[in-house]
Amino acid sequence: MISDAVLGPPRAGGPGGGVRRALAKRRTRAGERTYAGLRWAGAGLFALVVVALLLSIAGDSGQALLHSGVGFLWSGTWNPAAGQYGAGILVVGTLLTTAVAMVIVVPIGLGTAAFLSELAPRWVAAPLSTLVGLLAAVPSIVVGLWGLIVLTPVFANQVEPFLASMPLLGWLFRGEAYGPSILLASVVLAVMTLPTMVALSRTALAGVPVADREAALALGATRWQAIRRAVIPAARSGIQAAVTLAVGRAMGESIAVAMVIGNRPAIPASLTAPGATLGSAIVNQFAEATPGIGTSSVIALGAVLLLLTVLVNAGGQALLRRGHGLPVSTAGALR
Amino acid sequence: MITLSTVRGWNDRGRRLGALAGLALLGVVAGCGTSSSTPTAKADASTCSSNTVLSATCDVSTPSAVTLTGAGANSIEPFFETVFYAYSQKNPNTTVNYSPAGSSVGVTDIQQATVNFGDSEIPLTSAQLAAATEGTILQIPVDLGGVAISYNAPGVPTNLKLNGATLAGIFDGSITNWDSPQIATVSGVANLPNLAIKPVHRADASGPGYDLDQYLIDTSPAWVSAIGTSTPSRTWPLATVGIGEQLNTGVATYISQTSGSIGFVEYGYALQNGFVNAALLNAAGSFVAPTETSIAAAGAEATSVSATDFNVVNEVGAGTYPIANFSWTLVYQKQSGTTTGIALGKLLDWVVTSGQQDAAALGYAPLPTNVASLAQTTIRELESSAGTPLFTS
Repeated sequence: MISDAVLGPPRAGGPGGGVRRALAKRRTRAGERTYAGLRWAGAGLFALVVVALLLSIAGDSGQALLHSGVGFLWSGTWNPAAGQYGAGILVVGTLLTTAVAMVIVVPIGLGTAAFLSELAPRWVAAPLSTLVGLLAAVPSIVVGLWGLIVLTPVFANQVEPFLASMPLLGWLFRGEAYGPSILLASVVLAVMTLPTMVALSRTALAGVPVADREAALALGATRWQAIRRAVIPAARSGIQAAVTLAVGRAMGESIAVAMVIGNRPAIPASLTAPGATLGSAIVNQFAEATPGIGTSSVIALGAVLLLLTVLVNAGGQALLRRGHGLPVSTAGALR
Repeated sequence: MITLSTVRGWNDRGRRLGALAGLALLGVVAGCGTSSSTPTAKADASTCSSNTVLSATCDVSTPSAVTLTGAGANSIEPFFETVFYAYSQKNPNTTVNYSPAGSSVGVTDIQQATVNFGDSEIPLTSAQLAAATEGTILQIPVDLGGVAISYNAPGVPTNLKLNGATLAGIFDGSITNWDSPQIATVSGVANLPNLAIKPVHRADASGPGYDLDQYLIDTSPAWVSAIGTSTPSRTWPLATVGIGEQLNTGVATYISQTSGSIGFVEYGYALQNGFVNAALLNAAGSFVAPTETSIAAAGAEATSVSATDFNVVNEVGAGTYPIANFSWTLVYQKQSGTTTGIALGKLLDWVVTSGQQDAAALGYAPLPTNVASLAQTTIRELESSAGTPLFTS
């Protein structure tokens, strides 16, 4: 594989022909052939699984689309008790929780990454990185339980009333302080996506050549200016990849969100109102769903979630290519 | 793409954790192996000469070690946990693993035959029975429980009197404060606090939700017009009011930590959590709080219980609590393994007879005599895979 990439397709009589012949001779060895076979089988199996998954999701959600029409995608009512199935509200909830989570996690994650890679002495950076790694290993249901048991009363009694009483911004948080809400779900999602954000942006920042920093410092930049003007822009593609991954994780999270969002399938009146996401609705409804149309509608929610994730990812990549002039996959090579 | 190279460190960590988990699992498996091969006390063979007899003495003896798995209602978990433990103390040959994932899971699991028994707060519909993959399902009533309306509202007295109309108003969003005049009129309490009501319902499908829906449909025309149907639903019909939490445990957690909250949980959970519960207006016109006695009174009114006539909501009688229900254990009539079938029959027979004495302390009422005998008759219908009865008496 590597030789292919380095040497390009074989050309008879071209330069490097001798090397190529030698490699070709070696390739005929049994081990090589077996390995190549395994590679193809592995890749084929992977593709097969993905295609089969997509086909079965599409097939099983067909009944729901026939029943509710294309309106399923944006219809505002999700009430399985009355046989009304529409994904619209849940799409709004999914996008809203993800967006708020990113507003929280991107500055904190990037700040932590910059601190770890640029400023922190080794004796601080090493244990802090381990802590972030530990956070990544906490199962989502544990984070959800923590949100339900520890954060819910704090949000209901302190955080939400305080936010609602703020001048100018208070309207964003108006309404009854239930505790479980879009905001609480977003905070839980932020906690869950923080490790991804920190680890990937830190790797991206660490990959920026030392010369860039030194050049900025030599020009009289302060440490902060050097990070902001020289290091972060150079690591931009890696950071954007980190955000893309965090967005994907936040959109797909189900169990933890179902525990802290309040599960109310209605357009939220504010950020502190309860809501529902595609993932939380799937968690709540799947076991009971009425056989036939009910089950099909829940699977259709999965299809919508898949579609939404693909769209958001594609959007992110397009943004990246426009900003950097290179596809995401080359960012690793640049390092 | 990029992620492959950048997240390699994470993968390594994951692999190491995976290896650790694998080791831990091996340890557990090894532990199980040794414990099951340990010789256990043999039951007295002379009193139970045959395994085909169901009786108080024979129920606790099975010839060889059997592990039974079950899944289903979350509401019955406190009761099952206690009786299964008590049973395994008396009969170390039988181990029972019950997963309280919810009635709906119990139904699906028994339909797919992935468990030895399921449990549902609501008996199966004919369509659900038809979806069973291994033939006829027997439905055995195993406990009698009630649904408590629990609240956490400082300043509101214990056993606040509520009727169908006020409860419907709370859950349809038309009553939003504890000092509402409707609550004051019905409860007869004048100085209720000015505190926002935070109603909490089940986010997943549930037996308690179904029973409360039935009570509200029976007692409040406003509720029927708000939900647009008079058929009760396992999925809570008005999810756009208040908040939804998963399982009794989720609802109970929310109530216990949120001032102003009110919600419904299986009475056993209310008792465990020390909740304050509302006294509800029953069909005889009196306000009754949930207790083991008032739930038992509701069960005593249910004279013709069967899997198709299971409703014990809003029963007559001055002392009855209006929201009660039986929990139903689901087993296949034809048991593919005879040893397992016998162990299962003996366990269930013990649960519906001797096991009932544990019920009261946990917030459940012992099964009424007629229902217990229905249960015992049904258990005796168990058959081997060849179709011969497993039990002779």
